[in-house]
Amino acid sequence: MLTFTLRRINLLLITIFLLTLVSFSLNFLFPGDPLVNLSGRINPTPEQLLILSEQYQHNANFFIQYWTYLQHIFKGELGVSMASRLPINSEIINLLPATIELSMTALIIAMCIGIPIGFIAAINHKKITDNIILTIAMLGYSVPVFWLALVAILVFSIQLNWLPSAGQISLLYEIKHVTGIQFIDILLSDSEYKWQAFQNASSHIILPACVVALAPGTLFIRLARTAMLDVLETGYIRAAKAKGLSFTQIIYRHAIRNALINVIRHVGLQFANLMTLAMVTEVIFNWPGIGRWLIESIYQRDYTAIQAGLLVLSSFIFIVHILTDFIYAALNPLARDSKHGT
Amino acid sequence: MNLLDIRNLSIELQTTNKSILAVDHVSLSMKEGEVRGLVGESGSGKSLLAQAIIGVLDERWHVHADRFHWRGKDLLRLSPEERKSIISQDVAMIFQEPMSCLDPTTTIGEQLAEAVDTEQLSGYFWQKNQQRKSAAIKLLHKVGIKHHDQCIKSYPHQLTEALCQRVMIAMALAKRPMLLIADEPTAAMETTNQGQIFRLLASLNQLKNMSILLISHDLENVTHWTNNITVMYSGQFVEAGTTKQIFTEPYHPYTRALLDSSPKANIELSAKSRLTTLPGSIPILQHLPIGCRLGPRCPRAQQACVKAPKVINYHGHQVSCHFSLKDTY
Repeated sequence: MLTFTLRRINLLLITIFLLTLVSFSLNFLFPGDPLVNLSGRINPTPEQLLILSEQYQHNANFFIQYWTYLQHIFKGELGVSMASRLPINSEIINLLPATIELSMTALIIAMCIGIPIGFIAAINHKKITDNIILTIAMLGYSVPVFWLALVAILVFSIQLNWLPSAGQISLLYEIKHVTGIQFIDILLSDSEYKWQAFQNASSHIILPACVVALAPGTLFIRLARTAMLDVLETGYIRAAKAKGLSFTQIIYRHAIRNALINVIRHVGLQFANLMTLAMVTEVIFNWPGIGRWLIESIYQRDYTAIQAGLLVLSSFIFIVHILTDFIYAALNPLARDSKHGT
Repeated sequence: MNLLDIRNLSIELQTTNKSILAVDHVSLSMKEGEVRGLVGESGSGKSLLAQAIIGVLDERWHVHADRFHWRGKDLLRLSPEERKSIISQDVAMIFQEPMSCLDPTTTIGEQLAEAVDTEQLSGYFWQKNQQRKSAAIKLLHKVGIKHHDQCIKSYPHQLTEALCQRVMIAMALAKRPMLLIADEPTAAMETTNQGQIFRLLASLNQLKNMSILLISHDLENVTHWTNNITVMYSGQFVEAGTTKQIFTEPYHPYTRALLDSSPKANIELSAKSRLTTLPGSIPILQHLPIGCRLGPRCPRAQQACVKAPKVINYHGHQVSCHFSLKDTY
């Protein structure tokens, strides 16, 4: 287990190092003065430019420039946004938690609904249930997310008026920003309308989270189905049958865990996909997250924001990836420790 | 009374365009306390037959039989659920490749504990877990594993192949079965380990009067451990008799050929000469010959062999051949 942990942490560090390398080189590849791209101060006076080049060691060689860049990142100085003139790190701290909240909720919804349905399909293999589930999964996977979001708003917020269509929480509730994750902040706050605020925030997150969860959820259905079908063919299931266990016992004790292992492997990979969907959804639902901010930055050619946002988002995706690897290892004894000779 | 009595059991594989008769009217009977070998080349339907007896074939395979009696009870008249409960109570099976027959993500202890029959436990439900655990440890002792603490905590991949097979046998013993079906229990195992497993099975047979159906492709090896032998070829019944009968006076040309192909049984063989073999190889399922399936390879085949022969019984020595070797002895 120790070797496994060290290897994963090693992988995390190396990947983040490579990501910084990419975002650093972006400053030179984007049009305009690299110094301006790096700091985000547009139209600087000659004096300001001198100070900046001093700060970023712009006259030294690339290695020292890169090293200074790294030092700036570790200090949390990501420059200022070209568009809003606000420091980027504070923007990210404000916006990233909302995205984490949305994407995690969507991931949990996708897993909690997709995986059991996939298992049900596999258990009823070659029956009508299986075919229905597969058809729905196919449909769900091919629906474009922006269209689905608009239809969801049209139906559930405008016509039926069940759920709000935009934002994270109603403006009536004043919640202090502590962790940034709305639900935790609500629970931490000492407002007397805490539970109303909680309800309000929940009703706000349902629609965007479900929209984001649909495509990954249908993918999980298919993954879980194939994983379960593979497991049901294996020798140990046949041996368990011969042992005299009932079908439910076999499913609960042996099949689910083994099938889950194979699904969890793919969850980390799917998370990047889910983040892309979340970015689009944030724009449509006016969700104050980093995805919307990043897309706006791209429109406004805010190069400083783009490179910083990319760095933060991809680090976040990668950390989630590593976390799913740990869950995988916790479930699978084969991955946990080195194999003994057979 | 026979423990198991199967008459004319056939197994059909249902494919999209046609059905293939993988096992063709095979009879098998076992007495209490008997060790019977089921011998045949790979692909001769031995494992299929075993899996059909225990009822773990999936729905692609269709099983028919004229008679299927278990301790005098006609299982064909019972519903699948009743049949399954009787069979899983009294018959246990160990498979080839024990490693792949153990759940890789569950510890040996848990897998053993769940095999323990609830009826053997007494007391309240909070005591049962403890009892299951101690029953699992006892089972491990029975199959000769002394370091039970370590073994119970291990996952299958941490044990050797032979240890896994012992664990499988322990699991099979959990239900105190009357019949143990061992499907090539020592395939891909070293010779010393093979000996251990066979000795363990033999001692179980002698001490607990447990019947064993030993499936193997190695006729010579099986003769050391069995009382009776049934030989199969390409899904058809070939010959059945006591080990001595089969080994010294085989009536069927196929059994003769099997014995001739092993140097130990073939004493007259001069040094450094070639072993005799049958020409050709076992037919694939898609192209089975009509009549006696050995026909195209058989040295004694004649025109009559295009019709499947009936089983002839010579005082318990059954043979299925038109031109048996009985008269040559």
